[in-house]
Amino acid sequence: MKAYLSAFRMRRRLEVQYRGAVLGGIICQMFFGLVLIAVYKALYAGKPQSMPFSHIASYVWLQQAFFRMLLASDPDLLDKIRTGSIAYDLCRPLNLYGFYYVRIVAQKLTGSLMRGVPMLVFALILPEGWGLSMPASPAGLCLGLAGLMLGLLCVSALENITMGFTMRTLDSRGMQGLLNLLMMTFSGNILPLTLFPDSWQHVITLLPYAQLLDTPIRLYTGEALPAEAPRMLLIQLCWTLLLTALGILFWQRNQRRIEIQGG
Amino acid sequence: MSYIHVKDLEKRFIVREKRKKGAFFREKKMINALQDVSFDIEHGELLGYIGPNGAGKSTTVKILSGILTPDGGEVTVGGLVPWKERKEHVRRIGVVFGQRTQLWWDVPVRDSYDLLKDIYRIPGEEYTARLKELTEALQLDELLRTPLRQLSLGQRMRAELCGSLLHRPELLFLDEPTIGLDAVSKLALRDFLKWENSRYGTTILLTTHDMEDIVALCSRVMVLGHGRKLFDGTLHDLLGRYDTVRTVTVRYEEADAWPELPDNAPAVCDGENLVITYSPAEYPTAEMIARLQGAGTIRELTVQPRNIDRLVADMYREMDL
Amino acid sequence: METIRLYLHSMRMLIRSQMQYPASFFMQTLAQLVMEGGEMMAVILLVDRFERLNRWEAGDLFFFFGLMSVTFYLTECFGRGITGNFPHLIRTGQLDTFLIRPRGTLTQVLCSAVDPRRITCIAVGIAALVMGCNMSHVLWTVPKVFLMAEAIACGFFLLLGLFTIEGIFCIYAVKSVELVNALTYGGRSACEYPVDTYPRPLRALFTVLVPFALTMQQPGSVILDKPLFDWPAWTAFVSPLSGVALFGLIWLWFRKTMQYYRSAGS
Repeated sequence: MKAYLSAFRMRRRLEVQYRGAVLGGIICQMFFGLVLIAVYKALYAGKPQSMPFSHIASYVWLQQAFFRMLLASDPDLLDKIRTGSIAYDLCRPLNLYGFYYVRIVAQKLTGSLMRGVPMLVFALILPEGWGLSMPASPAGLCLGLAGLMLGLLCVSALENITMGFTMRTLDSRGMQGLLNLLMMTFSGNILPLTLFPDSWQHVITLLPYAQLLDTPIRLYTGEALPAEAPRMLLIQLCWTLLLTALGILFWQRNQRRIEIQGG
Repeated sequence: MSYIHVKDLEKRFIVREKRKKGAFFREKKMINALQDVSFDIEHGELLGYIGPNGAGKSTTVKILSGILTPDGGEVTVGGLVPWKERKEHVRRIGVVFGQRTQLWWDVPVRDSYDLLKDIYRIPGEEYTARLKELTEALQLDELLRTPLRQLSLGQRMRAELCGSLLHRPELLFLDEPTIGLDAVSKLALRDFLKWENSRYGTTILLTTHDMEDIVALCSRVMVLGHGRKLFDGTLHDLLGRYDTVRTVTVRYEEADAWPELPDNAPAVCDGENLVITYSPAEYPTAEMIARLQGAGTIRELTVQPRNIDRLVADMYREMDL
Repeated sequence: METIRLYLHSMRMLIRSQMQYPASFFMQTLAQLVMEGGEMMAVILLVDRFERLNRWEAGDLFFFFGLMSVTFYLTECFGRGITGNFPHLIRTGQLDTFLIRPRGTLTQVLCSAVDPRRITCIAVGIAALVMGCNMSHVLWTVPKVFLMAEAIACGFFLLLGLFTIEGIFCIYAVKSVELVNALTYGGRSACEYPVDTYPRPLRALFTVLVPFALTMQQPGSVILDKPLFDWPAWTAFVSPLSGVALFGLIWLWFRKTMQYYRSAGS
């Protein structure tokens, strides 16, 4: 347990080191947010929708703030796998799956907290119609936070499976890129899922990609009522369990293969 | 005016220090990489440039090759100011960085050369002749079809050298060319450099940590420390200044022979050998040998200067580097 | 002329060396397709839901999206030396290799990399352009063809210039290189839509400071016969030059900055 904790702490320290880069990233992300909201605002002016615009603005800001949770990229680890220095990790008396799972969660959490909190503060003070609105209800906020945590676990499990794939094929850029792109599209980062055609939404919101941000955001804005929350959280939980189980299975088989190669 | 003329060269770097606890911005600090460095080099000289890590060797070479702009002083190479008339200047020089490749990683060496031919605008016939000459001298024929990444370190260094000499530079900079090479490769490389220097009168400036390189190649040595020039002269003079201790090992036919020695030349028994250290300044070598001969019949005798690396280390220490 | 030969020679060599890993190349090219396809899908879905953006109709929007896509990814493909590797070249001191050769730095940096994987993105862009032209019933004339080519070429230089700023930041050892991404990637995302979509400050940013509007959208809108700015028609031929001018200025800045270049690694 202690080993996992220290892996988490190490990751966090690394993230904290690059303050300049983080600042640049925040400004860039806020810029993206403003641009997107301007476009949706202009579109809304032409043809208002049933959903209030403030929901869209909040959706965009929450997506931008937690953008870091989406990205599947740990260049460190990928390099380790390519150069073969992963062998050191393999020698450690740890459950590899757990070790990397913790790493991924730590990276996503610290990365997005450092960027997300200042951005959300900025978004809250923006004028009406441009900024982030208050949550629909206290219950919405709590459910949204719970959804975010579950979503984080779910996406980390998904990413850990890709990591396993990388260990097998050694060339990760294609696979990693593909996952990133699916993530960007179906998590609602490129276009809020709420703006997808209604018929599509029934399917897309069931995919694991939607679990990370779309579900908690809907709970936060009140797009989804607290009454719907149990169903949504249950879907998240199912995906998390399923993906974790798949990941553990996959890594076990992988490890055996690597050991055979080593011998 | 001499071929390379350097006067009062100065270069400063700004170093950002590690962020202090609580401070948002890091503090800046100026470091003098080079200070008041002056020297002249004539055509055809083979010059070694030594000094501990961080002394400013690479900085000098980078200024001379037009990569860096100095903060003060004059530099001309063949009448050109390197960083101002960069393109005309670099046409006439070749540079080899020991730890960095200038060739293309994934393609056969020959293809890299063909591209260099276009970059330097080398006429076709001249290129063919020069390539033939260099591949023979550097024994590269069999490697030309191989991608660079598949070459061994020694092979790669030879390939790099060939690449930097294709356009017949009159001045060649070598930055630690023998780093990491095995003995055979080192010897071959040194032979080649001597050959190139004597055949074409190429001026060669060599920075290195390997004193054997200097001994084998350079008639003139410059020592740099803390950004200042500390010594400029022949290797012999440099060694003479610091080479103050010698060891003589002697083995006698008689088991009990023991020469009479002065107090400042202690002797130690090492099996059948007798090892004596002395200072030639106080006690000339000829006299020492005469005295040893007087004590018995000598079977074997060797006189050794101190290990050259240790000598340089002592020198650096004395110069407070 | 001779420089072009050198460029072609370099390209041949670079592509040959990339083809040594065909599986990886194929996979990445496919990933690029998914990426740009996703972006285009977003525009299609928006158009499907909202029908129009101010006075711009579906076809116009596809046209602007395509114009930006084609230009941006042509830059990423042929300007790879600057858009991709430039900060890396400077940080690791690999720029040295270029400085000791008797050719211009820009020529050599551009000759040092190419990214053929972007071909799928460019294809998506072309598809969007064709779709947009058809839906907006563009009547092609010789001047319009010329305008199109000019807009893309000048946009190429504008983007190269913006990416060069990253390199300049690197020489000054500024860590917040991501800031420049707001101009490059942010500029691309923003100017996939006509700038009159945006409130005044953003509009000014993308017209005056970073003239995507003058370089690409003004000629684009003239091709659609719906000028973005109410200026005489001939100005559309002149305004793209602002992109080239900005590139020139930034490149001068870069050359000035080079005296602080430290050539790391010693």
